[in-house]
Parts: sequence; structure tokens; C-alpha cells
Amino acid sequence: MTQAAPPGWVPVEHRFLGLDRRTFAPALGVLAVALVLLYGLPALNAVVPWHNEIRPGDVLDLGDGATAVPPVGWQLEDGILAGTASVSPASLTAQLTTGGATISLRGAAFPGSADAFLDQVLRSEGGSPGVDGSRGTLTTASGLVGVALGSTSPQGDELDVAFKMASAAGEAENAPALLVRVRTAPGQFERQQDTVTTFLRSITPGAIR
Amino acid sequence: MTAATKSAQLAAIEESGWGRPFRFVQPRNLAFWVYLLGVGGGALALLRYFGPGAHFYRPALTGGVLLFGLYLVPWLLLLRHQNRYTAQPASLLTAAFAWGGLAATFWIALPANTALLEIWAKVGGTAFASDWAAGLTAPINEEFGKALGLVLLLGLAPRLVRGAYDGFIIGAFIGLGFQVFEDVLYVYNGAAQTFGTDQIATSFQIFVVRGATGIVSHALFSAIFCAGLMWVLGRTSERNVPRGVLTMLAAMVFHFAWDDMGGLSGGIGVLAILLPFVIAAVELVTLFYVLRHAARQERAWVRGLLGPEVEAGVVDPALLGAVSGLRSDRKAFRKLVGDRRRTRHLLDAASDLARELAAARGADSPGVVHARAELLRLRHGGGPARPGALTVNG
Repeated sequence: MTQAAPPGWVPVEHRFLGLDRRTFAPALGVLAVALVLLYGLPALNAVVPWHNEIRPGDVLDLGDGATAVPPVGWQLEDGILAGTASVSPASLTAQLTTGGATISLRGAAFPGSADAFLDQVLRSEGGSPGVDGSRGTLTTASGLVGVALGSTSPQGDELDVAFKMASAAGEAENAPALLVRVRTAPGQFERQQDTVTTFLRSITPGAIR
Repeated sequence: MTAATKSAQLAAIEESGWGRPFRFVQPRNLAFWVYLLGVGGGALALLRYFGPGAHFYRPALTGGVLLFGLYLVPWLLLLRHQNRYTAQPASLLTAAFAWGGLAATFWIALPANTALLEIWAKVGGTAFASDWAAGLTAPINEEFGKALGLVLLLGLAPRLVRGAYDGFIIGAFIGLGFQVFEDVLYVYNGAAQTFGTDQIATSFQIFVVRGATGIVSHALFSAIFCAGLMWVLGRTSERNVPRGVLTMLAAMVFHFAWDDMGGLSGGIGVLAILLPFVIAAVELVTLFYVLRHAARQERAWVRGLLGPEVEAGVVDPALLGAVSGLRSDRKAFRKLVGDRRRTRHLLDAASDLARELAAARGADSPGVVHARAELLRLRHGGGPARPGALTVNG
């Protein structure tokens, strides 16, 4: 007489390292697809090069008519060039890179001054506003005034510049905020300083709000 | 009772797997370990993602968890209602929800989407990526990531997960898990986008937008995709590969359409307003079409399961038609009975009897005897329950 097997019992001929070989097909199939998605796609991404070089005359769209002139030869890894699509200044993201240096831009809705916006950014990253060293001002060619904060560490040099993208005085309080972050590898900032300064000075607020 | 109806009943119980318990912990089953790897990996990725900013973004996170926690309630009631015929056990559906929320979202979609989005930007440029990358990324990574959970549950409960309707219900739970966890992720990202300014208002805005669009989002995509996958895998006689592939593609096209709404509308204002409603309408029509087809096998099983009870006069043909039928059949039965409450009680009692019969493998267990007595009590006026039992001789 045969009796029903206890729950979980695996006949000896189906065992492999204590596991039921009959369960291998779905489990290994899932594992294979998951590994392709988890590691295959990032590996493919790592070998595909960027071909999005900034050419002379290109203008970066910062939303609502605001623009900046990106450095020629840098790669545009995120963000939209003027005339190609529409961008919201409050959700803008853009990134420009070249060997050893990155400029990233982020737009946000923020009520308050550029200085207060920079405080908020530092607070959100665990920093303490007011004990972060001296701040400077940076005025763009269009007259936009930004608040700049630089620092140096063994990992490289950092420069954060906060703007309120107001086209006229008195509108700054409710205008969208823009944070520009420059990160360079150790010893690279001096080499890129002129390029970065030219880029920052090219930032222009929208004409119509 | 004829031998043919009894044999059809036993065949329905065997094929549907209904009444079998779901055992989650199966150390000898490799699918169990892969499931743990996925959900564990997802939980770790979740902690890594939210951990560093959890303190600063606590108002947004708390708001997101509370709001989307409440949002779950009507969804669970709706899916409970749909989990009819040979219903899946709650523990299996909980495992499906956890896979969708943790493994599919944080273990698979987060890194895979990041990589594929960047690949599209490299291949087509950032303007192309802005319009189309999301729709060319999420339907691949997310639909397959979610469906992997169904395949693992098939490995864990091969006797329970049988037909396209099982795929539909399990897929809906996986999709719901994905949707709710992704919504909380969006709340966090929304708060981070504004560097933590006015977090409660931001989380509420995201709740309104995501909650509204969520009606025709991941739960629906996955229900359709997983029903299609079950037709492809063909665990029963209903195997139909072309239908399965087309159904899976339909879910992916819907996902693409939602994610690339901006690109599809081409910046035309009227189109941008109308398109979401048009796509939602097409999605819902497809959903009900798939549901109707997926339910055919389940309905046949219920009819087979209750066949001997019809012969014995415990279940009348009209009640059998309603309990194994579609919404229109239940509506017709309600008209026949003339009382909404009594109709519901009769349908529930017939479902109870079917469940007890499946659990007892067709035998007259005390549960079957009691469920049968209850049904007869309700059919004969629905007076207070009396002690004693009625049996139907086989």
C-alpha cells in the first residue's frame, strides 16, 4: 500500500543539493531575466558612448524662455536644447560633462531669495546653513544675480550657485529657483574656470513671465 | 448523482487546484529562494534609497505612506470582489503584492530603468529621450519585472496557479504592490525636487495626480499582461500563444501610451487633454474583454464543481448560472430573486459550498454538510439557522 508523501517531500531521484530539481526551470528562468535587467542593461549602458556634443550656436533651454549657452565640446547628458522640446523651469534637470568636470542644473519652485534657496539646498543635504564658509555673488551678463558657494576637498572642487530666475526686480520672490552645481576632479577647476565662468555668465532669465 | 457529474466534479477540483493550501516556506523549492532574493534585494534597495533623506523628508514620506495606504483600501475591496470563482488564497496574493512592491520596483525597475533611460538618451539624444525614453523603458523593464513574480508563484504553487484568470488576479495584486510603492517613491522624489520645501502640499499634489491616473495604471497593466502570460505558458487546455502574446503586447502598448503621453500629443493642447481619457477608455474595454475570456475556464470549473449539487437539487440552475456566470448573469439572477440582499446571500452561500467541496476533494465533510444546509436554509426562506444537517447522497 502506498501512502501520500508528507508536504515538501522530494523523491530522491529529483533531488540536487537538497533542492527539488523540478523547481529549477521557473526559478532559473526568473533569475536569468532578472540578471539581464539588473546587470545586463547597466553593462550595456557602460559601453555605449555619448554622442551628444555641444556644437557652436547651441543654447540650453532652462524653461519659460530662460536660457544658457553651454560650453562647446562638452557632452549634454541631460537637458534640452532650445527649440527641441518644452521644459518646465520648476522641474528642470540638465547635465553637461567633459573629462574631469560636470555642470548640473536643477530648477525648483521656491518662494524666497536665492540666498534662502541655497540654505534650503544645504539643509536638505544635511548641511548647516551659516557655517558653510563665505558666500559670494555672481552677476550674469543679463544682470541676474546669483549666490555662489565654493569648497575644496580631497575628492575635488565644488561650486554651487543659486539663482532666482526673475526677469525684473521685485519678481524674485515668486520666480523659479535654479541651482547650478559644478564638480571637478582634483586639480581640474583651474583648467575649467574660464569655461565655467562663461557658462554661468550666459544664464539669462525668460523675457516673459 | 450520476457517475459522470461526480467525475466532472473531481476533474474540476483536480484541474483548478482549488482548495489546496498555499505553503510559502518551501526550502527545497528553488523558486522560494529566488523569491526571497528578489524581495530581500528590493527591501535593501528601498532602505538605501530612502535611508539618507528619511529624516529630512519625513513629512513627505509619512504623508505619502498614509495617503497611499488609504488608497489601497478601495483597491483591495475591488480585487477581493474580483477574486471570485476558484478564489486564490490571501497568503498567495500577499506574496504577489510584496513582489510587486519590493522586488519589481526596487530590485529590478530602479536600476534597469536608470540604465535604459540613459541608453535612449545616448542613442537618440536628450530631446528624443525627453519625449519617448520613459515609454520605451518602463513597459519592458516593469512589465517583465512584475511578471517574474507570477512565474515564481507558479513555481511555488503549480497546482493553485492554473489558468489565465489566476494570472489576471495575481497580476493585479503584483501591479497594485508596484503602483503603491512607486507612488511613495514619487512622493519622495517630488519632495527632493523642491529640496524639501512645503513637503505636505507636494505629497498631496502627487497623491491626487497619481491616485487618479492609478485607476488605469499598474494594476490594470499587470492584470492584462499576466493573463496573457498564462495563455502563453498554457497550464490548462486553454493555452493560446498568439492570444497570450497579443494580450501581453496590449498591456505594454498601454503602458507606453501613458508614459509617453507628452510625445504622443505632440504638444497639441486639445490632444493632450483628450488623450488620457481615450487611452483610459480603450484600456478598460480591453480589460473587460480579457477578464471575460480569462474567466471562461474558471466558470466551467465552478459549473463542474457544483454539478452534483444541481442534480441533488441543492443548487438550482439559475443559481448555478449566476455563481458561475458573468456580471450580466448575476444581474439576471437578481431580477429573478427580486431582492438584492437575498441574491447576495444566495451567491455567497453557493460560493461557500463550492469552496468547502473543493477543500474536501468532493467528499461530504462536516464543512460541506454545513454549507449545504446553509444554502438550503437560505433558499427556503432564509429563516434563522437550525441545528442539524442535510446531506446529499452520492
